[in-house]
Amino acid sequence: MTDSKYFTTTKKGEIFELKSELNNDKKEKKKEAVKKVIASMTVGKDVSALFPDVVNCMQTDNLELKKLVYLYLMNYAKSQPDMAIMAVNTFVKDCEDPNPLIRALAVRTMGCIRVDKITEYLCEPLRKCLKDEDPYVRKTAAVCVAKLYDISSSLVEDQGFLDQLKDLLSDSNPMVVANAVAALSEINESSPTGQPLVEFNTNTINKLLTALNECTEWGQVFILDSLANYNPKDDREAQSICERITPRLAHANAAVVLSAIKVLMKLMEILAGDNDFCSTLTKKLAPPLVTLLSSEPEVQYVALRNINLIVQKRPDILKHEMKVFFVKYNDPIYVKLEKLDIMIRLASQANIAQVLSELKEYATEVDVDFVRKAVRAIGRCAIKVEPSAERCVSTLLDLIQTKVNYVVQEAIVVIKDIFRKYPNKYESIISTLCENLDTLDEPEARASMVWIIGEYAERIDNADELLDSFLEGFADENAQVQLQLLTAVVKLFLKRPAHTQALVQHVLSLATQDSDNPDLRDRGFIYWRLLSTDPAAAKEVVLADKPLISEETDLLEPTLLDELICHISSLASVYHKPPTAFVEGRSAGVRKSLPARQGSVEDTTVHAEATVIPNQESLIGDLLSMDIGSTIPTATTITAPQSNVDLLGGGLDSLLGGGGAEAPNVSAPSTTGLLGDIFGMPTTSSMYVPPKGCWLPAEKGKGLEIWGTFSRRNGQISMDLTFTNKAMQAMNGFAIQFNKNSFGISPAAPLSIGTIQPGQSLEASLGLSTTGPIQRMEPLTTLQVAVKNNVDIFYYACQIPIQILFTDDGQLDKRVFLTTWKDIPAANEVQYTLNEIKGTSDTLAAKMAQNNIFTIAKRNVEGQDMLYQSLKLTNNIWVLLELKLQPGITHATLSLKSRSVEVATPIFQAYEAILKSA
Amino acid sequence: MGGLLSYFRGLFGSREMRILILGLDGAGKTTILYRLQVGEVVTTIPTIGFNVEQVQYKNLKFQVWDLGGQTSIRPYWRCYYSNTDAIIYVVDSADKERIGISKDELFHMLREEELQEAILVVLANKQDMAGCMSVAEVHQALGLDALKNRTFQIFKTSATKGEGLDQAMDWLANALQNRK
Repeated sequence: MTDSKYFTTTKKGEIFELKSELNNDKKEKKKEAVKKVIASMTVGKDVSALFPDVVNCMQTDNLELKKLVYLYLMNYAKSQPDMAIMAVNTFVKDCEDPNPLIRALAVRTMGCIRVDKITEYLCEPLRKCLKDEDPYVRKTAAVCVAKLYDISSSLVEDQGFLDQLKDLLSDSNPMVVANAVAALSEINESSPTGQPLVEFNTNTINKLLTALNECTEWGQVFILDSLANYNPKDDREAQSICERITPRLAHANAAVVLSAIKVLMKLMEILAGDNDFCSTLTKKLAPPLVTLLSSEPEVQYVALRNINLIVQKRPDILKHEMKVFFVKYNDPIYVKLEKLDIMIRLASQANIAQVLSELKEYATEVDVDFVRKAVRAIGRCAIKVEPSAERCVSTLLDLIQTKVNYVVQEAIVVIKDIFRKYPNKYESIISTLCENLDTLDEPEARASMVWIIGEYAERIDNADELLDSFLEGFADENAQVQLQLLTAVVKLFLKRPAHTQALVQHVLSLATQDSDNPDLRDRGFIYWRLLSTDPAAAKEVVLADKPLISEETDLLEPTLLDELICHISSLASVYHKPPTAFVEGRSAGVRKSLPARQGSVEDTTVHAEATVIPNQESLIGDLLSMDIGSTIPTATTITAPQSNVDLLGGGLDSLLGGGGAEAPNVSAPSTTGLLGDIFGMPTTSSMYVPPKGCWLPAEKGKGLEIWGTFSRRNGQISMDLTFTNKAMQAMNGFAIQFNKNSFGISPAAPLSIGTIQPGQSLEASLGLSTTGPIQRMEPLTTLQVAVKNNVDIFYYACQIPIQILFTDDGQLDKRVFLTTWKDIPAANEVQYTLNEIKGTSDTLAAKMAQNNIFTIAKRNVEGQDMLYQSLKLTNNIWVLLELKLQPGITHATLSLKSRSVEVATPIFQAYEAILKSA
Repeated sequence: MGGLLSYFRGLFGSREMRILILGLDGAGKTTILYRLQVGEVVTTIPTIGFNVEQVQYKNLKFQVWDLGGQTSIRPYWRCYYSNTDAIIYVVDSADKERIGISKDELFHMLREEELQEAILVVLANKQDMAGCMSVAEVHQALGLDALKNRTFQIFKTSATKGEGLDQAMDWLANALQNRK
């Protein structure tokens, strides 16, 4: 006997007992045993070891036993994927069972077994069940196709299941139609390309509309949801769909009603031109929405969230229904808050009196959140409905008189907004506000009050005293309040310079010297410099007219609103977020949009990554927006009056001066890095090195700023970095890591820099290897970097200039070049036009050669110089190029051929960079 | 005395005999199973998994398990070995190429401890095919001479025509009744 005996299953214990019972001859015993197994399974015991024995009970004419075994299979097939194959034959047999219940059960269970190995065997039975004579089997099979699509989309497409599903749309049984529609919608939504795989046409839509009247409520929801995805080909079709759907609005099921509303909202967008039709439709939409509000609170909430979207899109629908949104005393708080929101959206001159008296009532309730929102709502009404502003303000004043702490604070916050909307209109109330100064303890209220004092400093006699009292506890205030205080004091100083000089100096020194909040410090320095250079300019800047605030600051962004309208009656419409924001793995799907605005919903993701070679404008721009805090060590110089220098000049001077002062402790390449870019100074290395770009701005790096570039010297790729510490504390413990990237670039050695003192810059060159893990990035040359120090870990992305990946052995033999050029199909050829090329073909070739782009041959055809060039990337991708130059003409045509043509774009960029480098 | 015992055993119907039908894929196992059960030739598709049927032969009840013969399924045969009374091993007599594999699988299976008591019936199936091996050749190719301590017999059969199955089942029924 070997030791293997220790690993054989024991002949004792529960599992063993169950095993022997499962193998019992008596059917009753077997059934009991399977029940015990299922019971263990449901309480979480692992009974997967019994898989073969349970599967052996599968072929039985006892429906109860069969169901139990199927249940077991669904649960454990995944844990025993190889063994699951033993169940296939039984499924195949059951799908041909005379009993339709068993056929449907089998096909449903099959869909729930997510084991790749057996899916292909299940296609044949599924195909049969899709054509089954019994509608129950067909409708179950339809859903099974969607499940299978989730496991293997290619299988579904190859096996023609999509066509079979489409055929089911014309099935005689409405439930089959509904399920087929549901399956198709699900498949369309998860299609990897984002394009729907199955498009509906007029014909299918008609069939759906017919089935709509006959199937169950949930079937109706499926059908309506897919109708919402259909774009009718003309107005007539849209109208007829509207007419046939309208009766659904009277359905008892809220989901049916909301889905019908979704379809109608979408079709109204198409029919926007037809005013009569739309207005009748609008009238028809209100009653069902109102009815939804008499259901239980949970349904009400969902309805309200959807109504919130609908009133933003079409305020007309519910404009006469304000009363139903009045809050009932026994509404749950979430319903109350949502109703309040809709009340404000619906508020208009016609109903404002009613609304205000309601809101005033609400402001005396007990629930703090609700009261706050009610007070805020009054303010919003004032801003939205101009003629009511006066009444709103007086209501707010009444509320302030109540002296209820949170009511007062909330009122002050909204009064600030009212002041911003109607400047110089209601200052009379300021004195009342000032009386409540002491009770304010929330940052937002304090900040609002301080803003009001600053804004109306000239009318508040004791403004300086008030502000001074705030300054006593300046350090303990919230940043929001500190910023407001700083601004308010400066405003005060500009308005009443006579007695407030000491105050303004006090606050400026508090902000710039005692604070470690960079925003506050920056603002302090800016004010300081403004005031010391040109007080007149300061006045213009600080006391400039402010843009009026818009009436609706809380509206959803229109494209998002349109997208959400398409998702009415789904979670997205409750969250007010697109599904991509909260459903995992759905990012690839196409975002829905209303038909009329189709063009505008394209994803406009702005690529903000640093370009490979920043042009001079953007670089100077960057420098200007740079943190002025870099001059902290020499801050005293700023306070010295700098006559005849405007702000811009002063900023640049000191910046450049600062750069010069740093020069002694930085090595040669950095000078060319920073100053060289601005003045276009030639780089010293023979190979072209792009100028350093700002990879991690100080505000994102908690004071750590990183500039960097890539270079290649003597065949060694490196990342040249400048670290600047703009924080107040020393930084150390630096480390760097790269994410997987397209070219497998990884640090060859750890980052070796020690401690960086505040205000100090350090240069580091990090050797790179190209043997790291590879993962394709988009764009190809993106490199994601993480830098760690004693403060935090910072992440940024930069672009690898592809020329650093050109290897020394990139020269092809002439004949090899010729045959390779011919071998690569024309589809892999990309052309590009280079502009503003200077120099002859020889000097260009020489310049290219320094950068490992090798010229293999040169030809002169009809006055044009043709350069044939090759290069090789570190990952052994060969690239063949043909450069067509015409002497005297500054643009050149570049043709590129490569087996991996996706490298073309970065290579073109590299050409631009190299040819234009001096 | 033995006769009396067997009489009683017959009287109480005794327990169902458990029989496995094994063999390479395409040997005709499923066809044999349904030939035994319903007496007809049914169209079959490759068995991915298993079939199990009750078969009544004479006064004996069998629970017959037909397991798929695909390479991917063969490893799971052993899940069915316990309490097996007899094995019907089906060989495709016309498949000369894979007879070696068939032999290996057979001997591999017979080494299993759980099957030491099982009676073996080898069916040289598809005897109706032209150019097939004879029973003797199959016997030779499977190396059945090497079998010791095993009750076994080889029969030539044609499942589609129904030939030879009755003899085989007669022999098996007798062998099972005379056991012990």
